[in-house]
Amino acid sequence: MLAPYLILLFLFGILPLIMAIFNVPSKSPSNPNGGWKVFSIVLHDFRLVPAAEHVLGFMAIFVPLMIFFVVAMSLMLDVNSAPWKKYVRLAYIVPACVSGSVAVLLWYVLLEPTLSPFKSVMHWLGITQASQIWKTQNLTFILAFMAFFALAGQWILIQFGSLQSISTEILEAARVDGCSQFQMAMRIKLPLIRKYVIYMGVLVFAGGLQIFVEPQLLNTSIYAGIANQWSFDQLSYSLAFQNGNFGEASALSLMLLVPSLIGALLVIFKTDMFEDVTLKSPKKLAKEARKREAAKA
Amino acid sequence: MSINLKGKESTPTAKRAKRRRKVGIGHYAVNVWLIFWAIISVIPMLWLILAPSKSDRNLSYKNPLSFGHISGYWHAWKNLQDFNSGVLARWVFNSITYNLAIVLIASLTASLAGFVITASKIRFKKAFLISTLIMMLVPPVALVIPLFIEMNKVNLIDNPWSVILISSLYPFGAFLSYIYYSNTIPPEIYESARLDGCSDFRLYSRIAFPLSYPLLALLAFFAFVGNWGNYFMPYIMLPSPEHYTLPVGLGALFFSTPAINPGNGATSVPILKPEIALAGILIAVPVMIVFLISQKRLVRGMLSGSIKE
Repeated sequence: MLAPYLILLFLFGILPLIMAIFNVPSKSPSNPNGGWKVFSIVLHDFRLVPAAEHVLGFMAIFVPLMIFFVVAMSLMLDVNSAPWKKYVRLAYIVPACVSGSVAVLLWYVLLEPTLSPFKSVMHWLGITQASQIWKTQNLTFILAFMAFFALAGQWILIQFGSLQSISTEILEAARVDGCSQFQMAMRIKLPLIRKYVIYMGVLVFAGGLQIFVEPQLLNTSIYAGIANQWSFDQLSYSLAFQNGNFGEASALSLMLLVPSLIGALLVIFKTDMFEDVTLKSPKKLAKEARKREAAKA
Repeated sequence: MSINLKGKESTPTAKRAKRRRKVGIGHYAVNVWLIFWAIISVIPMLWLILAPSKSDRNLSYKNPLSFGHISGYWHAWKNLQDFNSGVLARWVFNSITYNLAIVLIASLTASLAGFVITASKIRFKKAFLISTLIMMLVPPVALVIPLFIEMNKVNLIDNPWSVILISSLYPFGAFLSYIYYSNTIPPEIYESARLDGCSDFRLYSRIAFPLSYPLLALLAFFAFVGNWGNYFMPYIMLPSPEHYTLPVGLGALFFSTPAINPGNGATSVPILKPEIALAGILIAVPVMIVFLISQKRLVRGMLSGSIKE
């Protein structure tokens, strides 16, 4: 009964990695004798540094913005539970329904001064032509904001959910002690949802590193050439499908997998996000409990 | 957010009254901001839903959030159907059938796996759970190129089964099921049933499955939401237009019509912005309906295992 899942896990989780590793040293025009030096060839590819600059710049805006905004919004939602907030939460989920090609369509519209629902704001800012916005050097900001807008709402709801797990006794005790709402948010709620924030951080980081669809569609279909081999994944795509160099493409994919793997292992082993999943042995849990007791004393 | 109290109040009552007043202003600002963000969140979707009611020209000249005429939707739909001899209907059909297959296979394999891990004493339980968690936390896009190489080897490129099978690997679902079964069904039930000579499969079909409807709804929700709008995987695996899904088809509409790129030159059927917007609605609105109905499932699913209800 476990077999169907295990077969899928092996075929599409493990086997592709093995095949990619075997593909790396294959012969190619850039690596005529084959061999593992293909990693160094990829690292010296002239397109890698710009792609790294783009993606890291994108992440430097996107990841902190996400974490700060989502945490702040969920804490604000949690200040009290007014009935109208139910509808606000429903509204926050709406941008999550728009992904991939629809997101590109909508952002084309939002940033097109003749079409945009925000055109009065844009005219006020002096923007009358799309070419004032859609430039390669602005793309880092635009894509960061696109990704932020698509993901923020659902994470606000998830972090709001994690805030609901805090026991009312703790909050009541703080209130009796004269804790203000702001102090309560910063000193009590935030430390208690820390692991969920790290969980979000890792997922957001790993996803951001693999940005592909938005720049690719913008580049091929809307503003030709604006994001040519802009991200790592686009570079790896173009190595594979334009240059037919699957060795280099696999090498780049495998290198990109490393940070995601580190992030995953970090969440699994360094936070207690999944500790109930018996990942830790009872012995270790007991040891940690003793440590906590000792720290308290 | 509240404001710190400064200044000298003589009596505690005055202090409290002042605090209440200041807190009131802070609350007011916070609430206004929360509502403002809610409005910002829905405006793009609102534009999309209203767009096909207007003509291409009026999209630029009329108020972006005004409603044109109901016949606009019909008109745009007819034009879309005439595009490349009705390939759009094919894309809708593909999207529905692929996703149906994915949701079914993924939910079933994941719930079976979660059940077995909970109910029977198998070896390598920890290794299994860790590998599942790793797969769950690594974004699926990271494996697209290696998967392409694999599918190419077995000649499954341009075969819809490549996308269906790959997307049916559902580690998050297996994890959810494991949490669900270990929290809902007491282990004594398994043991006593097994003593009575009940096989694992009977245990699942007679006891676990009837208790799993909330779980299956959760699994189907995440499988659908995660795959319906997926672009990268079908884009790479299924190059022929007759195998496109709706999201890939929408990308092709941008690419091949003058709707967004006037440089593309006219197509035989007028595919303009209202038509493109209608295609966008076909992708976004099903997900929106599912999301709005099961908003709570999203939160419960993403936090399961770490929060006890």
